[in-house]
Amino acid sequence: MEVSTNAGYAADRKIFNFQNIKDKSNIFGGKLSEFANSAFVPVLLIITWQLLSNAGVIYEVILPSPLKVVKGFLEMVENGTLWIDIVVSGKRVLIGSFWGIIIGMAFGVISGLSKIVERILEPIVNVIRQIATLAWIPLIILWFGIGEFSKELIIAKAVLVPVYLNTLRGMKEVSKSYTELSQVLELNRWTYLSKIVFPSAAPIIFTGLRLAIGNAWQAVVAAEMLGGLTGLGYALLNAKDFVRSDKLIALMIVIALIGMVLDALLQLLEKKIFSWKYAV
Amino acid sequence: MDAVIDRNIVDEIEVEESSSVDNSIKLAIKNVSKEFKTRSRTVKAIEDVSFNVNKGEFVSIIGPSGCGKTTLLRLITGLERDYEGSIVLNGKRVEKPGLDRGVVFQDHRLLPWLTIEENLTIGIKGDKKQFASLVKNVLKKVDLEGFEKAYPSQLSGGMSQRASIARALLREPEILLLDEPLGALDALTRYSMQEELEKIWLNNKTTMIMITHDIEEAVYLSDRIVVLDTRPCSVKEIIDINLPHPRDRKSRRFEEYRSNVVSSFRSTIDSYAYSI
Repeated sequence: MEVSTNAGYAADRKIFNFQNIKDKSNIFGGKLSEFANSAFVPVLLIITWQLLSNAGVIYEVILPSPLKVVKGFLEMVENGTLWIDIVVSGKRVLIGSFWGIIIGMAFGVISGLSKIVERILEPIVNVIRQIATLAWIPLIILWFGIGEFSKELIIAKAVLVPVYLNTLRGMKEVSKSYTELSQVLELNRWTYLSKIVFPSAAPIIFTGLRLAIGNAWQAVVAAEMLGGLTGLGYALLNAKDFVRSDKLIALMIVIALIGMVLDALLQLLEKKIFSWKYAV
Repeated sequence: MDAVIDRNIVDEIEVEESSSVDNSIKLAIKNVSKEFKTRSRTVKAIEDVSFNVNKGEFVSIIGPSGCGKTTLLRLITGLERDYEGSIVLNGKRVEKPGLDRGVVFQDHRLLPWLTIEENLTIGIKGDKKQFASLVKNVLKKVDLEGFEKAYPSQLSGGMSQRASIARALLREPEILLLDEPLGALDALTRYSMQEELEKIWLNNKTTMIMITHDIEEAVYLSDRIVVLDTRPCSVKEIIDINLPHPRDRKSRRFEEYRSNVVSSFRSTIDSYAYSI
């Protein structure tokens, strides 16, 4: 690179360096050692658990050995039930979340635009929020039975609340300095909303989405445990009924992993969409 | 373009005659007072401030911090309302913000999710292709050519502030209001930005009002300096700076002006200290 005192070159160099530093933290070795740190305690626990099981200290039915859990897992993979349950639960999460997001965002945006609507809707959502998703299930089953609709409704409720509240908060928390800017530049209402309010609210709305998807994944398992014959929640109950604690634990681990993968994907998406926020 | 040439000719004529010709007054501030009412009491922020700004002039307003100089600028901007007296821009009383006044805030206030080009053209109606040449021209004026597609986070502090000046200039305002535009920059950047600002002002002939608390900056850039007294804010002294541009900071006359302003400013600080 040429040496130059030109301001343009200085800025080029700044961007260049910035990427360089970024690259360093992404070197595979760095990530790997990070992973080794996080995995250290769980691995130690699993080894101890296995050794204790081998020694016969732990009663198998109560807590099967890690190897047995793996075998249970493989059994479910081989007979295909695991995959079917994941797909069924996933579909429910997808449909329920879709409606929860659409309705929560729509209401949130309208509440953000209109003080009157906010005064009507916000208290209602706040009351709904106080009642745990689990507590809604008996009433919903009573009203709508144990079909697909009930489960999707439960998930939609779990999703709607954080999406609504965060959308509203995001729209109300537009910095005063940006509002002044829009006055000074005589922006019309639409430009103000599309170029200032929505972009500045977007990261907060996305936080709501991440919370919502986490909620949805928890809600689907709970809903399936209370009725129906498919899904991961049902599979858990089934494993309990047949005293297959190995399958039970394997399923719990699968549920945890899927939840973590979902959140990681959303985090990745967040960084992609809001790159302006992270590029400092 | 025609309008720009006209303005230049008018300026030349005015300089030859007298700068106090009435129609050359761009902004007239007359007996302006402003109170802030809180629940328990009323605070007088500005009391009886009067001064004029002529067409094409660079006027600095200096005063100790918390003296209400930003409030004064916000009144001119139209962001602050309900004042006594009159602020008249081009014969029209200022009531609300408008595009006839360009504003440069202390923080650049570029929207981080928009590129520089999008930041500059936000809210402007018209042909996209026309924008491109407009943006290119104005970025050239502030030495930011080729940064159309950059995001604000990729620019340094000084560059961001130049972009925000460009955003104001693009709208060809009657008057440019600068609220401590260089206040957040480090000393070195600040120094070179003062020269940039001088260049922009010389090239554009835009009328500018700048709030600052940096005396050297005020002397370097201004035709006139309005020194404000504090609590409540009122005009203490208006100092004319009769030095040709570009200015030499090391010249003896520059130093004389500087110490003049310092002594005027110091007495306000002393009274400020006593008032605490």
